[in-house]
Amino acid sequence: MIALHPSDDAYPAALREPGPGPDPLWVDGDTAVFDRPSVAIVGTRRMSPYGERMARELAAALASAGAVVVSGLAPGIDCAAHASAIDAGGSSVAVLGEGITSFLANSGGRRRRLAARLRERGALVSAYAPVVPAQGWMFAKRNATIAALGRAVVVVEAPVGSGALITAADAVRLGRPLFAVPGPVGGRCSEGTNALIASGAARACLGPDAVGEAIGVTAPNVVASGDVVLDVLAAGPLDIDELARQTRIEQGALRARLVSLVLSGAVADRGDGRYGRCR
Amino acid sequence: MGAVAKTLGCALWGLETALVTVEVDVANGLPHLAIVGLPDTAVQEARERVRAAIRNAGFEFPLRRVTVNLAPAERKKEGAGFDLAIALAILRATGQLRADPDGLCLGELALDGAVRPVRGAMPRVRRALAAGITRAYVAAENAGEAAALGAEAIPLASLRAAVDHLDGSSRIAPVLPPPPGRPPAWPVDLADVVGQETPKRALEIAAAGGHNILFVGPPGTGKTLLARALPSILPPLDPDEAIEASAVHSVAGLIDPERPLLVSRPFRAPHHTASRLALVGGGTPPRPGEVSLAHAGALFLDELGEFHGSVLDTLREPLEEGAVTISRAGGAATYPARFVLVAAMNPCPCGHSGDPGAECTCLPDAVDRYRARISGPLLDRIDLRVHVPRVPYERLRADERREPSAAVRERVCAARARMAARGYRTNAELTVAGVRMHCPLDAAADALLSDAMRMRRLSARGYHRLLRVARTAADLECRDAIGADHVATALLLRALP
Repeated sequence: MIALHPSDDAYPAALREPGPGPDPLWVDGDTAVFDRPSVAIVGTRRMSPYGERMARELAAALASAGAVVVSGLAPGIDCAAHASAIDAGGSSVAVLGEGITSFLANSGGRRRRLAARLRERGALVSAYAPVVPAQGWMFAKRNATIAALGRAVVVVEAPVGSGALITAADAVRLGRPLFAVPGPVGGRCSEGTNALIASGAARACLGPDAVGEAIGVTAPNVVASGDVVLDVLAAGPLDIDELARQTRIEQGALRARLVSLVLSGAVADRGDGRYGRCR
Repeated sequence: MGAVAKTLGCALWGLETALVTVEVDVANGLPHLAIVGLPDTAVQEARERVRAAIRNAGFEFPLRRVTVNLAPAERKKEGAGFDLAIALAILRATGQLRADPDGLCLGELALDGAVRPVRGAMPRVRRALAAGITRAYVAAENAGEAAALGAEAIPLASLRAAVDHLDGSSRIAPVLPPPPGRPPAWPVDLADVVGQETPKRALEIAAAGGHNILFVGPPGTGKTLLARALPSILPPLDPDEAIEASAVHSVAGLIDPERPLLVSRPFRAPHHTASRLALVGGGTPPRPGEVSLAHAGALFLDELGEFHGSVLDTLREPLEEGAVTISRAGGAATYPARFVLVAAMNPCPCGHSGDPGAECTCLPDAVDRYRARISGPLLDRIDLRVHVPRVPYERLRADERREPSAAVRERVCAARARMAARGYRTNAELTVAGVRMHCPLDAAADALLSDAMRMRRLSARGYHRLLRVARTAADLECRDAIGADHVATALLLRALP
């Protein structure tokens, strides 16, 4: 772990421009990722299946196109974005709202494993000294750092009052292009993002291509697959019985086809009996 | 006089039995009654019961030195079941009984001379029958158990009645074997469950192949109903299994005297506060637990996530071995415990993770922690893991064609017949060699499975477990070769949670 000061060459250029960045910035990982185009992907901890799919889709497409995915390593959208970027072979940077050592000591399970992968395939960064445990007020500074580190900011899902909306406000303040993923009207998880679009503060994000354009990478949008199973699943995850009803495929044939799709990585078992599209 | 009289009793340790010769010597000396031959406290207390019962039945207790020996002497004896044998031997030694009791004597004595029933009459009578002793003198409540095994069971109300019968002054007719009972009407039929095709199919596979099954789903979606429908599709008990399972119930003192032999496969559903002792058995002397009472049937653990973790982990041995061995200072007792495990749990503490009809209020970490309560090794032994989703209201009302349990049971029995023809009771018991010999794959199935092996990095054990389930899915369709659909079924049912 190293401490970077604004006078250091390795200090992220993205943090210098909009105003005084954190001094020092603690970094655990590869500082070379700061030289690459970057995009911040943030959202709520309690995401919907749709939000998870969109976070994964955007992160995977932008990471494969060469962008570094910046997020906050919170459960939910943040973790989905980090994991999907790394799974796609890209890099990702997590900005923590506490000391890096404190985070590693106090987190467990999935996020800890994800943090370990991030150190190899990107970096963990924090504005706080290594041993500073998290306090509620510290996250505002982290959100500003995320908005500054990303050359563009995408809010995938945010209910009213979500911390992701603070990041969005920071993006506007810093002049970063702001995108929000539109969601169903009346859906709790999309109230904040839809409001951002309605107010004109954010552009509607319909796929990775516009975001890629804003940060200077080429990330094509996903086109409809033509596979009836994949098309039915595009609306949201379903269990096998419901999938059979909607696709009108006989159960026996559907099971074999579903297993093939799962094995090829196009569809994933969501762990709650339903199957969702991955891309 | 000073003659030695002998009667026959039977010791019980776990389900193990040993015939015990009760020898009584009455000699001159200070009045005393000694029992030797490793008796436990309950047997020692027989002294007081026997003394009072003999007097109160109108006989004379000898005012001499009485020695009772329980042979073989090195084996520990427990329980009050020797009272009758000791009393009859004393009466015989003192000449108050004029004929030798020519059968197994089994019963506890009341102080007024009445004969009381004992736990575990069935395995003890079975041991006597195996040794060629066909007559059993037992309490009236135990007579049904003895007669059901084919023994000539003489029901005794009291010590006096026993002596009168043996002397020939008042013969007692042996009890007739009880008529075979008819299986009860099932409380839950599969037709009661609306929708849920995949969970129902999984239950059918579990019933046919003896595979363990876990239902995961939000509250109120029918997990418990599905599990309780399992007995209605299990194949009937065969006679050997009925005796084996009834013997365990006999040892636990759970036999209905009117219907001593179980007529349907047991279905045990212990509450989630059950202790280790209650679940796998134990104590001194050892008693069978729920896993053994479920032998040849099913054990249903509702709210699996609420069971104590250390309690659940004790299930690993019975699930693997089909038996439980309880080791105590006095020796080890083994109870059979071959059962189908049916478990149900919520997906998370609030129960609504993945439920489109309600919002989950748990943080993601809490969901992970809840699932981690079921240890990996236990989960590994559950081949079928099925999600039971909420059924939309429109479909609850729709009058879909639903298959009754009787039709499913017919398929299950046909599949079991195919397994029996291969020499296995169920596919869950297929050995590794059996899997190799009896699980031919067609080309599509082979391609799918090799893809899965590569992608999922299945272990060798996982591979064999997968094939056993696929074998059962194919057996239910009376196919010899396993098809892609069957492999897909096994893969989809194993993936979670």
